Amino acid sequence: MDNDIVPLSLLGEGEEGIIHLISGGHKMVSRLASMGIISGTKIKVVRNIGGPLIVTINGSRIAIGRGQARKIAVRRLFDKR
Amino acid sequence: MISKEITVALAGQPNVGKSTVFNILTGLSQHVGNWPGKTIEKKEGIYVVNGKRLKIVDLPGTYSLTAYSEEEKIARDFVINERPDVVVLIINAPAIERGLYLLSEFLLLNVPIVVALNMIDVADDQGIHIDVNLLQRYLGIPVVPMIASKNKGIKELISVVLSLVDGSVRYSPSLPNISEDHKDLFIELSRSLNGYISPPYLNRWFITKIMEGDPDVTDKMSKRLPPDIWNKVKSLLREHEDSLLAVVKGRYDWIEGAVRTTISEFKRGQVLFTDKLDDILTRPIFGIPILFGILTFVFIITYGLGLPIQYLLESSMSYVAGYIEPFISESFWLRGIVIEGLIGGAGTVLTFLPILFFFFLIMAFLEDVGYMARATFIMDRFMHLIGLHGKSFLPLCIGFGCNVPAVMGSRILESTKSKILTIFLTPFIPCTAKLAVVTLISAAMFGKKGIIISLILVMGNILLLGITGTIMSRFIIKSQHMPFIMELPFYHKPNFRTILVVVWIRIKAFLEKAGTIIVLLSIILWLFSHIPGGDVERSILGMFGKVIEPIGKPIGLDWRMIVALMASIAARENSIAALGVLYNVKAEGIRNVLPHVMSYASALSFLVMLMLFVPCAATLVVMKQEMGEWRWFLTSFIFMIFLSYLSGAIVFRCALILGL
Repeated sequence: MDNDIVPLSLLGEGEEGIIHLISGGHKMVSRLASMGIISGTKIKVVRNIGGPLIVTINGSRIAIGRGQARKIAVRRLFDKR
Repeated sequence: MISKEITVALAGQPNVGKSTVFNILTGLSQHVGNWPGKTIEKKEGIYVVNGKRLKIVDLPGTYSLTAYSEEEKIARDFVINERPDVVVLIINAPAIERGLYLLSEFLLLNVPIVVALNMIDVADDQGIHIDVNLLQRYLGIPVVPMIASKNKGIKELISVVLSLVDGSVRYSPSLPNISEDHKDLFIELSRSLNGYISPPYLNRWFITKIMEGDPDVTDKMSKRLPPDIWNKVKSLLREHEDSLLAVVKGRYDWIEGAVRTTISEFKRGQVLFTDKLDDILTRPIFGIPILFGILTFVFIITYGLGLPIQYLLESSMSYVAGYIEPFISESFWLRGIVIEGLIGGAGTVLTFLPILFFFFLIMAFLEDVGYMARATFIMDRFMHLIGLHGKSFLPLCIGFGCNVPAVMGSRILESTKSKILTIFLTPFIPCTAKLAVVTLISAAMFGKKGIIISLILVMGNILLLGITGTIMSRFIIKSQHMPFIMELPFYHKPNFRTILVVVWIRIKAFLEKAGTIIVLLSIILWLFSHIPGGDVERSILGMFGKVIEPIGKPIGLDWRMIVALMASIAARENSIAALGVLYNVKAEGIRNVLPHVMSYASALSFLVMLMLFVPCAATLVVMKQEMGEWRWFLTSFIFMIFLSYLSGAIVFRCALILGL
């Protein structure tokens, strides 16, 4: 099954993915890394209704601004049915 | 035998229970100040055990030790320059990976570290089991499990800290490496910088930071290195643009090793209480009304309980004043200084206490329980429009009651720039005293229409707040656009002991600093309004008002109104008293006198100026205190005077044109 790569900001509530790439400056990458957000980690979207998103990653809940969320490319994980 | 004081620094990411640990250890011995030259809170305290004295320093909570925020710079500079004897790094067990990330940064600083693994009860609830012994073996440094909220593990922590200081515990930390593909770069940089890295900086830390692209270290390097070596380093880094990722990956490989060998998870997929509550609170449809509900609750408690106690205190102070008066009634000056200046000033300070108490209490409660993060999340998108952070919302709203707690409430803002901007904008929020004065005067002048005018004035203030905020944040303060990433901590039972200690410490700090200055200012202001002639008209203030009257003419103010404006600095209500005295209002009351001595246009101009004029002395004092540097405070002061003058002028001219 083809798993597509989308910006985090496009994942719907309840959807999960594996972080593929973070395109940002040093400041953003450093900050994200210190909060556990790096490529290879599984991330799940809890709230995405405009404005900042809420995600869970490694057991923590984090609110991410939409601008940042657009720069995080995620490989979408589909439910195995 | 005199034993040296042992310095222990407490470090950790936000929301790990660091303040709980700090409060348990230091209790009421703690002292709150600011880090030198910064507006960030510095907390220090003492813990004594077995004849040993430990100085506990609470470092700001940080996610990492980059140079991108004030908090991080303070934390790392403290460890590098002050070299504490031990750093206690508090990690919260449910988020152990993040904690280990911060640990990897601290390990580079070559200072003895003890890991305090907190909230193991919460981890258990989530089905996460951590083998502490294995973790200790993997890391090579001591790990102490604890549940700070239940006061468990603290004694063990201290005993391990002491063992570390006297060398009786094994200490051989294992640090993460740079990922394989960049090892060569690391070696190259080491070679090139050999001899240029001097104490207190360490080689490994320095080079790692260079690979991360740390602005502070890079800057230091560019100043120390001869040009040819600096160019070589620059080209090396250009060739390896992703050196930051190499550092990060190395850390996460190390973290993964720790997690894999020491953690076992079971009971997956639980829906936590936090999830259920957030489902409601983070949806704007529910979240915003709930926030306003909570705001109303904050108001009701703060002013509903605070004001009656305030009246009580005021009447007690009057009683004290009345008791003393007969003893000094001969001297007009002594009576003025003691009764109105000293006792009046002290009374003013005391009367703020009940308001501040309840305000700090509720803020601390909301923060402790975890709600503040949600309030910030919801309001951020709106606050962002005017250049503010979501966290500014609550303090600013409190400003409608009184500006003093609003300014002090800005302490919850982490970024210095947000905090300064919030404080800068606070005077725009009309407090009840200001509103009372404005309502009174506009009712006296305009009768029933006065209410509408008052409302328009308030809306005008809010509009100006928005415009000023937008302009300032875009052009002047230029908040460095920290990426908006905010942790939403789990909701948990509030720790009342911690909350009360925090409230007490804050109130004590207010009394000691702001309090004494406010009393002094009260005395000075009374003197200014009575020397040398004995009443306002023949005082320094009165004479000053007459002297600058020409400035007031173009905007419709005569010297009496100018004096009343300046009198409002001592306390908002003073302007009414000043007007009463200066216009010789006696039995008829101000309502009957004012419309005869003031034109409508002048009155409007006066009202606008009142709304935008500099805040009362107490607010000014805490503003300076919280803003830190004189330049910000003076900028705000001058700006408000200028803005109120300009607005008064515009309103006056428009009123004249409209034929009022």
